[in-house]
Amino acid sequence: MSLNEMDDIINDFIVEAGETLDGLDRKFLALEKSPRDATLLNDIFRSMHTIKGAAGFLGFQQMVEVSHVAEDVLNRLRKGEMVADAAIMDALLHSVDMVKRLLRNIKDKNSAQENIEPITNALKAVLAHAPHKAQDAAKPSVATPSDAKESQEATLRDKETSLRVDIERLDAVLNLAGELVLSRNRLLRLGSKVHESRLDDALSSQLGEALASLDLVTSDLQLAVMKMRMQPIAKVFNRFPRMVRDLARQHNKEIELVVTGQETELDKTVIEEIGDPLVHLIRNAVDHGMEETGERASKGKPRTGTIRLSASQEGRNILVSVSDDGRGMDPSLIKRSAMDKGLISAGEAEALSAREALNLIFIPGFSTAKKVSNLSGRGVGMDVVKTNISRINGSIGIESEPGKGTKIEFRLPLTLAIIQALTVEVNGEVYGIPLSTVVENIRIRTDEIKTVNGKEVIHLRNRVFPVMRLGSLVSASEVQRDSAWKYIVIAGIGERSFGLLVDKLNGQEEIVMKSMGEYLKGTEGIAGACITGDGNVILILDVAGLLEALARTYAY
Amino acid sequence: MEAAKEKEVLQLVTFRLGQEEFSLDILKVQEIIRHMELTRVPRTPDFVEGVINLRGRVIPVLDLRKRFGLPGAEDTSATRIIVVEVSGVTVGLKVDGVSEVLRINADTVEPPPALVTNIESDYIKGVGKLDNRLLILLDVSKILSRSEKDALGKVVV
Repeated sequence: MSLNEMDDIINDFIVEAGETLDGLDRKFLALEKSPRDATLLNDIFRSMHTIKGAAGFLGFQQMVEVSHVAEDVLNRLRKGEMVADAAIMDALLHSVDMVKRLLRNIKDKNSAQENIEPITNALKAVLAHAPHKAQDAAKPSVATPSDAKESQEATLRDKETSLRVDIERLDAVLNLAGELVLSRNRLLRLGSKVHESRLDDALSSQLGEALASLDLVTSDLQLAVMKMRMQPIAKVFNRFPRMVRDLARQHNKEIELVVTGQETELDKTVIEEIGDPLVHLIRNAVDHGMEETGERASKGKPRTGTIRLSASQEGRNILVSVSDDGRGMDPSLIKRSAMDKGLISAGEAEALSAREALNLIFIPGFSTAKKVSNLSGRGVGMDVVKTNISRINGSIGIESEPGKGTKIEFRLPLTLAIIQALTVEVNGEVYGIPLSTVVENIRIRTDEIKTVNGKEVIHLRNRVFPVMRLGSLVSASEVQRDSAWKYIVIAGIGERSFGLLVDKLNGQEEIVMKSMGEYLKGTEGIAGACITGDGNVILILDVAGLLEALARTYAY
Repeated sequence: MEAAKEKEVLQLVTFRLGQEEFSLDILKVQEIIRHMELTRVPRTPDFVEGVINLRGRVIPVLDLRKRFGLPGAEDTSATRIIVVEVSGVTVGLKVDGVSEVLRINADTVEPPPALVTNIESDYIKGVGKLDNRLLILLDVSKILSRSEKDALGKVVV
């Protein structure tokens, strides 16, 4: 076997063992609820056995030792010789964690040795306390060749219906499909010209049919390729039952996590980005949201608190929410806390509605926790959550009722490949503005723009927005057009927004954002370009960059 | 080294800018396309004509006349965009017209004399002799050089 082949085998092992371990977490938690479920126990035993076998085959000795002892315990459990209690579950879960850590070491190729003794000793202690056959556990652990063979057969069976493909290859296909769409559009236009010219009716109708079928197949192809990048959100959700269990035990709270909609599919990039924000929300819910068991009982609530994690599709968006039935958030407390920290003035606090007050938690530096725990409450968090979600063109909604609980909801795009943009026109040129940054559009008369300290502003419902003329921003000299009506696009990120003066609003379009290439990278104010259906290029404005430019020139 | 150079044959794409003839190493040239409609990119130097859609890719186009400080010219039916790729950067270069592909021996190429043309000698790799013609070999990587890209950054707000 060559070195390369060995690398391939090890890489396969890393991926497969990783998936098996993720599955194990979930299965163990299910086991905690029904400790005598024989099917489940057999399933877990087999998973552990597979890992041990493969690890033995590849010579990862520490992993073999840990999984061997864990397997012994599981064997006793499945034979009904013991029943899993919380202590046994802890020991087993720790062994899964250790195997994960060992796997990570193999992946990082750091050949680090872990101290596996406490884990194996804990498991051996479990075996020793069992009614009989305790001496079995002390036996040195060696994976036999038959173990390895069995595990390989198992993985071969698993592989039959799926194939691992490098994401770059997939993206290349996605790009090609995009180009095909553009070629098709050009052909369709040519086809309609041929049709109009009525040179040869029979030929033109045949061409029309051929184009119609090409049209259909191309659209289907694009959709199919985009679907290849979609993954079930279960990939992210799976780690939370275990996390909630551990956190709840740590805090002596009784919490049940109810997960729904884990089969909902999202683009791989979105999946990768929402993990951390969700971890944060769930930690917050356990740490701050949920009351102590005693407190719940005295309030007449069920002893066990419930955290709901759900995902669902709504049109072109995916909704992901975390809700709890804990103590909820009090808007007046949040206002006071924000005032104490100097984030808002007393006057501002007065003017805020309850809903607006809740949104204060997204301001950097805000935290209402009375004490800083090792979980959360350091005041960095919700603003990071918001930034992460904005980065993937998502938005956050928050609902909370004191005493009843809190619900935080992410609204995410199905895919990042396609974004919604508002197209505007200025000096005869078309620009796109990502719709996620557009707050509203208003039509104004040019004399409604006022000047304050030499800077142009516009009043809108008791708020003053700085005005940026897109025309003078994109051209050296603005072409003055004497039209009485102009349009202002109020755009912004988070709390900062401004008005962008344009000549015309063209409409809303779905666009595929592309980079302008290495040479023009870093052109401020331009996020990228997109190609329209007729093959033209439209530039997409970078609202964050414009805000920065505004801050410099207008001291906004 | 010298012996190898003698046998080496350069393949060059030659093109016109005004009255002068220039050439590029064919290995740097990805393709040559007709001039097409451009989308202007704000806040870039004036030699950046804009961006075009090259089969689904968005690439910038530089006006080589303006890049060399020559007076601008109207686009004609002969106007072409030479798409070049240098170390991962793809850029289109607008020229007045593409003439031909030539093969010349590398040893007939001499280092650039100080005053051979209107353009700065920095961008010239060498001068090739072919019968009684003088071919100016351009250095593509210099045209897209770092200092130019830095200058590009400065023009931006």
